[in-house]
Amino acid sequence: MHAPTAKPFIPFKLTLLALTLGLAAGAVRAQTASEVDLARRLDRLASELAAVQAELATLRQQQQATAAAVAAPPAAQPAPVAAADREAATRSAMPTTVLTSYGEINLNRSTRHPQDTQADLRRFVLGVQHRFDERTTLVTELEVEHAVASAGDKGEVALEQAYVERQLNPTWALRAGLFLMPVGLLNQNHEPTAYFGVERNHVETAIIPSTWREGGVQFVGAFDNGLTVNLGLSTGFDLTKWDATSSDGRDSPLGSVHQEMQLAKARDLALFGAVNWRGVPGLQVGASVFSGGATHGQAAASSRITLWDAHARWTPGRWDLSALYTRATISNTAALNLPLVGNTTLIPAAFDGSYLQAGYHLWRQGSYRLTPFVRWERYNTASRYAALPAGLTPDASAAERAWTLGANLEFVPGLVVKADWQRYARDREQDRVNLGLGWSF
Amino acid sequence: MRFTPLTAASYATSCAITCATLASLAPVTAFAADYLSADQAARLMFPDAERFDAVDVVLDAAALKRLDEAGVRARSARWPLRAARRGSSTLGFVVADEVLGKFELISYAVGLGTDGRVKQVEILSYRESHGHEIRSAAWRRQFAGKGPGAALQLGDDIASISGATLSCQHVTDGVRRIVAVVDLALRNGSLR
Repeated sequence: MHAPTAKPFIPFKLTLLALTLGLAAGAVRAQTASEVDLARRLDRLASELAAVQAELATLRQQQQATAAAVAAPPAAQPAPVAAADREAATRSAMPTTVLTSYGEINLNRSTRHPQDTQADLRRFVLGVQHRFDERTTLVTELEVEHAVASAGDKGEVALEQAYVERQLNPTWALRAGLFLMPVGLLNQNHEPTAYFGVERNHVETAIIPSTWREGGVQFVGAFDNGLTVNLGLSTGFDLTKWDATSSDGRDSPLGSVHQEMQLAKARDLALFGAVNWRGVPGLQVGASVFSGGATHGQAAASSRITLWDAHARWTPGRWDLSALYTRATISNTAALNLPLVGNTTLIPAAFDGSYLQAGYHLWRQGSYRLTPFVRWERYNTASRYAALPAGLTPDASAAERAWTLGANLEFVPGLVVKADWQRYARDREQDRVNLGLGWSF
Repeated sequence: MRFTPLTAASYATSCAITCATLASLAPVTAFAADYLSADQAARLMFPDAERFDAVDVVLDAAALKRLDEAGVRARSARWPLRAARRGSSTLGFVVADEVLGKFELISYAVGLGTDGRVKQVEILSYRESHGHEIRSAAWRRQFAGKGPGAALQLGDDIASISGATLSCQHVTDGVRRIVAVVDLALRNGSLR
């Protein structure tokens, strides 16, 4: 609706300035998603300049001892342009391509073996998101781990995500490509600013691999009652690459056989599903399950890997509380392990873990925010082995229990410094203190 | 657990099960939550309104300074809004705005009564691949009734949503800003 306009007096120079500012705003179009913010800042700047101009005019008039003084009227004025038109113009200015990044630099100092102290640019991730239209987005993330990746270095370069998502209707979207699995609390929210502690928790590293991604398709449903549902079909693990001579399988059984869509064997696919409910503000309760073949017709026996988890997070007031339990099983491991007997790491039939975590937003001033936290974890990467003949069955491992005590200090949203101390009940050799710097935007 | 290879037939079965499951899950709420236009949101918030007049609130430098002192970054000097009218009386106001979510802009609308208190918040468009949960009615309902005296701070009187913290933060900041701007305009008599 158009209403009559009371046009304010605008000097010619100011008009030119406003035009220049407008052109500047146009020049940065399609740069970043904050351009609308920028345009509004320019708008605000122009308003402030108008006020300064008005004040200057008043002063001059006073100096010339003229009678009248002119003041710029702050008032609600009828809109010269319908609000809907302006909103449409703002939307049309929305960038289609956005650059994102997160990263972390960590220092780990063993309390028992300080000579092993290590500093590492753990990961640097660059992401590009592109919107083809209002309903279709491409999401990609490219990761460099350990700063340098070459034939003679230990770093690696990997695509962490590369998927297209199409919003089918207001509730359902279809996602296809390489995506993070909707499992647990950390996997899809793994930026250093999103979790407590310098290092990602053990359970969602050793039991649920981190960062776990698969190639496939999935439906994502987001309901108005706070329910989110994921259902999909994806690639899975490859047990044929289990290295019984390495300790990798003991550190993270699934992490040692994940494929990450690197020429992934895809004869056997997996089904997965997740349900998360956030119907009460501050509360998230969810569960997930994944199950798929892992031998692809290339081993003496066929095997299936199944993993499930249940999790909850509750953030009442200043508290941030979470709990998670996860368990995985691998079928037919007896047949797979027989040829491997004598090696150090056989394939476990089951492994599991759980943690409880509490954080408290202790202090906030300006953009600074300090959140101490404590986490208790119990995890066992080989809680059961399938029975082998004549006493060849390995002993199940005892569960490790770890305490982590520390704090996250957020300087501004997106930039965090972390410090913590970790103590292990079984293997005290692992005890350490950690310091980290992380960012995400 | 016995191994069952996924054959073409079992793929088809799996897909059929998936599709059947999807079909059984229909939206369960009457709240229109996403992909509303600002006009639709205005009509939803003020169903008794006969018309919506387009009005601009223009903040001068002094007003901007007052907002800054109150800890609110006004961001813009000119705020277009809709005044819901019935006859000669004003029922309230609707402000449509956009804030950056995590990577992309979130379009939302805030309905306010003539007392400056929030009546309703609607998400018009959410474009991120994650964090759609801010559309949930339960989260948006937290804003209802909050006026200029309320903290309107995430983690204080507004609970966050796990996995959508930045979106929650920025929408909360946006609503706080709109409440402050409308309150200022109501108090200086420029908005009626």
